[in-house]
Amino acid sequence: MSRHKLVKALDLDEELDDFDGGADSDYGEEVGAEDKEHLRLGTAKVRDVLGPEVSITDREIEDSLWHYYYDVDKTTPKKARKQKVNSDVNKSDDFFRDSPWLNIPEDRRGEILIEPLYPRGRLMGGSSKSDGAPKSKLAALAAARKKKENQRAEDGQNATNSVALLDKLSGKPRQGKPDCASDISSPKPLIAITEQTMNEQPRKYPRRKSKGLKSPQDDQPAKEAFKKSDSLASPDVDKQPEITPAADPSVFAQTIFAAPAVSQQHDLQTSDRYVLGPDTYAEFDFAGPSPDDVVTKAQNTKRPTQKPVKQPPQPSSGDESVNAIFQGVGVVAIEEPKVKGKNLDVMAEFERSKPKNAANFVVIGHVDAGKSTLMGRLLYDLKVVDQRTLDKYRKEAERIGKASFALAWVLDQGTEERSRGVTIDIAMNKFETESTSFTILDAPGHRDFIPNMIAGASQADFAVLVIDASTGNFESGLKGQTKEHALLVRSMGVQRIVIAVNKLDTIQWSQDRFDEISQQVSAFLTTAGFLAKNLALVPCAGLTGDNIVRKAEDPQASWYTGAPLISLLESSEPVTRALEKPLRMTVDDIFRGGVQNPLSISGRLDAGNVQIGDTVVIMPASQTASIKGLEVDSEPSDWAVAGQNVILHLADIEAKYLKSGDVVCPPAVPIQCVTSFTVKILAFEHITPMHCEVHKGRLHAPGRVTKLVAQLDKASGAAVKGKKPRLIKPGSVARVHVEVDDPIPLEQGGRVILRAGGETIGAGLVE
Amino acid sequence: MTDRRRINGPLGGTAPPVFVSSLTSKTTSPAKRTRAPDELRKIFLKTGLTPSASGSAYFELEPSTPTAASECLASKAPALKLTCTVHGPRPLPRSAPFSPQLLLSTRIKFAPFAARQRRGYIPNVGERDLAAHLETALRGVLIGERWPKSGIDVVITVLEGEEDNSWNKGQSGESGRTGGWGMMSILSGCITVASAAIIDAGIDCIDLVTGGVAAVVRQPTAPPQVFLDPCPSDHEEIFAACVIGYLQTRDEITELWTKRSIMASTDDNRANTMEFEPLVDQAVEAAVAARLVLIEAIKESTEVKVQTSQFGHPKNAAS
Repeated sequence: MSRHKLVKALDLDEELDDFDGGADSDYGEEVGAEDKEHLRLGTAKVRDVLGPEVSITDREIEDSLWHYYYDVDKTTPKKARKQKVNSDVNKSDDFFRDSPWLNIPEDRRGEILIEPLYPRGRLMGGSSKSDGAPKSKLAALAAARKKKENQRAEDGQNATNSVALLDKLSGKPRQGKPDCASDISSPKPLIAITEQTMNEQPRKYPRRKSKGLKSPQDDQPAKEAFKKSDSLASPDVDKQPEITPAADPSVFAQTIFAAPAVSQQHDLQTSDRYVLGPDTYAEFDFAGPSPDDVVTKAQNTKRPTQKPVKQPPQPSSGDESVNAIFQGVGVVAIEEPKVKGKNLDVMAEFERSKPKNAANFVVIGHVDAGKSTLMGRLLYDLKVVDQRTLDKYRKEAERIGKASFALAWVLDQGTEERSRGVTIDIAMNKFETESTSFTILDAPGHRDFIPNMIAGASQADFAVLVIDASTGNFESGLKGQTKEHALLVRSMGVQRIVIAVNKLDTIQWSQDRFDEISQQVSAFLTTAGFLAKNLALVPCAGLTGDNIVRKAEDPQASWYTGAPLISLLESSEPVTRALEKPLRMTVDDIFRGGVQNPLSISGRLDAGNVQIGDTVVIMPASQTASIKGLEVDSEPSDWAVAGQNVILHLADIEAKYLKSGDVVCPPAVPIQCVTSFTVKILAFEHITPMHCEVHKGRLHAPGRVTKLVAQLDKASGAAVKGKKPRLIKPGSVARVHVEVDDPIPLEQGGRVILRAGGETIGAGLVE
Repeated sequence: MTDRRRINGPLGGTAPPVFVSSLTSKTTSPAKRTRAPDELRKIFLKTGLTPSASGSAYFELEPSTPTAASECLASKAPALKLTCTVHGPRPLPRSAPFSPQLLLSTRIKFAPFAARQRRGYIPNVGERDLAAHLETALRGVLIGERWPKSGIDVVITVLEGEEDNSWNKGQSGESGRTGGWGMMSILSGCITVASAAIIDAGIDCIDLVTGGVAAVVRQPTAPPQVFLDPCPSDHEEIFAACVIGYLQTRDEITELWTKRSIMASTDDNRANTMEFEPLVDQAVEAAVAARLVLIEAIKESTEVKVQTSQFGHPKNAAS
């Protein structure tokens, strides 16, 4: 019960009447001999501190000492301040004398304090308002009554010896006296007690059990093991940072906070009004669940559960909170991935399936060389496309006056592609022979669509270079995209190239012309870096189908005794694939794969393997997704390995995180996204530090060549001695540094193409 | 969305010229960590930076190599300077739907001059990501039920942020959507400074949340080791790192963010297998150490508050 209430309950007049005149003598009787001795000592001490000039009677000091339980420190400032206030009043004009203009010390400044908008500890309503806000009559009445009561309470407290009086009234001796008496030689300032209680406060809460701040030795064995394995052998590693890692403010911090105020501490002793009173209620320490939670959980457990077997044994005692925690643990379950995989050993599955030799090839060549038509013919002759479909195409093509394009329409499906008669985007198709299953990547020949061609070429194992043999067209092609495409596929890592010299039917299967073309093309390709043994030439006619699947029937073509195109394709060696490496798949296309699969991506596995249920990371968005379904070559499958063209149906990801050119990786070993890298390039054009576009498969990003590091020797690959190159000439090999604006997923050994102004300026390997 | 109200610098940023002399003087001596593995950088934390806000705090990590600061601007070691202001709790606008709890909104903004690469004014993905992380860290500590129909805004400005590589290394390595390793330290600092500012604002919390970082770091000779409070420019390569928002007295984690896999870091050397939990434990220790600074800062500000309120209250001054 607070003293305040006592005072409230006190009828002051009555009490004062009772003790009229007799108070002093009563007070004297109360004080024992021991107390008197303490009082005397205390008074002497206070006198010492105050000095002779302060005019206070001994009686006043004694009263104060009594009031503060012989606390000399406390008694002194109170007295001193009383004196000081008096003197301040006298010399108020001198108050600011020694302080310079605009540089008044902190402690002398008047501060306008705006009361923070914390909720008052009362009910909301008008009664607590003391300002001029309008009040209701009832509120005003209540306020008046309250004011009156406060007035009385204050009067009671200000009565001279009210403390002694109250003690007497309460009728019990002071509890603290003996303790304080023993302590009088070293009186403790009250603030110290406050700190003590503050320090004690956290002990109510459970400390971190495994490694408390002050118990470095009782760590669990796991940490010990960790220490050993990490060779954190130095003994001080386990030492907790016991010293606060607090720093002094830097110069910057000092400027934003003014110089530290020196006189902050001078009045803290008087902060007795912040001494925490004894707890009037049991504090809730937030360590366990809140009472509400306990109740709700207990209620939940009452409900019949589906699996009574799994229910943990109920403790028979009424310890509800323990029970509730027990139940709570049961409820919490680790969220399992929605898609369940079969956890196949993909490599073993792959071995067992005894796969057919698979090969991807890209068809390249100058625009209008007949690439699409040649491939259309190939598919038609291999009965991948049936007669009816082709007849339909033929009819439609005739209607728009492009009868010769009917075969090309097998691959060119887009309306714009068909109306313009050029391939725009990579067209993919599949066919199988007895030994091999092929994937055709029909690249656009037009120079405007080189980026699409690069995308296709990056997926290819070998290339088919189609050359228009008709007069004039071959020559223009060799200057144009025949050359550029050949260089590009070479720098994309394609080793083997099959050259189909097309449209020989238009020049009556002239052998001279074929020889001339093959000589020129072979010479060019050899200089471009292809080995002579990896080149194969075949004369053919796409429109008529001669020398493609069957031998030419034209008697004029009898001079050619070699195999038709299809046999040359089949003779390509199987390529070894990086099956064991971490998964890498460049996203080719993102689409909606139907109602069941709202988000699907297609592309070719560059490395590694994947199966249903796997979690993958899409870089550079670094978003995880799980694989809900998987299609290999449009057939549902449970797994896929490097080299296969797959469609992944994804779950747990949003379409906005995906774009074509992204790389799918396993979460453990994601591909790095870089903004700058060094690349060893073969220059096609003059290269200076310049802006360029970086192409990597589907991905292209704006960037710039920032530095020409060194020119390299073409044969050995060693850096050419001498000063740093300022310009890379076409045809030379160099190491350059490239920066891009946005991070792109790149790995060492990745192949990139640099283009600027619509022309390929270089291609090479990331180092 | 493009920012058309202000005149912005070039998108890709411009690199000031690096002169040869400074390069030769500095490239030879890359920054090395001089602290012990379990020693944090010194923290300066102070509340009450912004008088007009309900609560505010300033957080500073001194540069890891203090001597480097004097040489020249380009070689200045990266430091971390954060300011945080808390506005509220203030009533939600009329249009907002009823909320039985305190609505927390966090914003983290890099000042345009915070890093060598200048930033735009509109928050980018990385900043929004950090803010989301911070929100999770703080949400677990606020007692939101006490403030229905109100909201607070926690706004952090990064005055100086760390970069992954020191200036003279030139190229920035991995800085994807979520930013580089420096982001981890920044988030840890953000958690601590936001905690200080919230307490300065007098908003009820169940505990003091502090942030801590630990990272598995490659060492030139020894096997990979865990370092508290890594400074990315001090280390050759960081394999994995972990940021944590930790409540010490309750032994709870409100926020956990790890980057890269520890398994991947130890692939090449199977003998030294590292586990995830020890890394988290180390991060917790960093958070515990930061808590000491936070407590000091709060004590200091409370004392000042007690003092000013005593002077300001006429009734109290008279007695």
